[in-house]
Amino acid sequence: MSGADGNKSSQTELSSQVFLDLVDSVIADVASECHRVARLGLDRDLEVVEEELRLSVEARAKVADPSNNLETNTKFVVDIFGQTHPPVASEVFNCMNCGRQIVAGRFAPHLEKCMGKGRKARAKATRSTTAAQNRYARHSPNPRYSPYPNSVSENQLASGSPGVAGEDCTVRENVKGG
Amino acid sequence: MKHSVNRPPTPDEDDASEGFEKDEVTLREIINVKLVESGEKENLMELVRDRLVECGWKDEMRIACREHVKKKGRKDVTVDELIRVITPKGRASVPDSVKAELLNRIQNFIVSAAL
Repeated sequence: MSGADGNKSSQTELSSQVFLDLVDSVIADVASECHRVARLGLDRDLEVVEEELRLSVEARAKVADPSNNLETNTKFVVDIFGQTHPPVASEVFNCMNCGRQIVAGRFAPHLEKCMGKGRKARAKATRSTTAAQNRYARHSPNPRYSPYPNSVSENQLASGSPGVAGEDCTVRENVKGG
Repeated sequence: MKHSVNRPPTPDEDDASEGFEKDEVTLREIINVKLVESGEKENLMELVRDRLVECGWKDEMRIACREHVKKKGRKDVTVDELIRVITPKGRASVPDSVKAELLNRIQNFIVSAAL
């Protein structure tokens, strides 16, 4: 009988409906509870996450602001690992020109003396032919304006004597690396 | 109870299911009333809650709510919104064993209520 079949299917349908009603009630309970916790700020973890978010936004703003870093903290700039670098490099190494032990922070002024003015240094350099060749190749354009900011030595050499250009390049690279 | 209550849906409507649902609604109401009156509804609710807590379903729902609250900001959330957000997921993630148990009990009730 269609009635009996209809009965069964409507029964299953019915029980499903009742079941869904029950589940919806529980869902509403959970939602209400969570809503209460959220609005009252009872969820500590949530607070912590919000706090962290706020702090990270603040920190980002601070980093993005350039004037902050440049003016203050020039001596004690902190990098991402939290290390501070002293303004004057303190590593000691051997000068490849004169062979002496030089403090890295004092290397540039040392080179000035070592390569430019010293008569001993000039005599040493002219001995090497490759250095002389490089010297003429490199020094012809723009002796005044050098692309490298810390090559005080080059300017002095150009105006003074065409010194050791070959060695100049290699030395400059070392200085930049150190 | 009239046998007409159990007759198949009237076919003269455009949407046959509509007719079916109309019967359903009255039937549902009747069942509901019976459930409440007999106290079976309360028992079923308690059973559902216990089972859903046991299997971790409630915790999953609470996590989903927290996620939503985090996104929206704690101050703006409404209960309706939370319900809307978790209902589809909630309905789908009820474990089959729990569903089967509940459906069984409900069906037994319907049968025993002589419908």
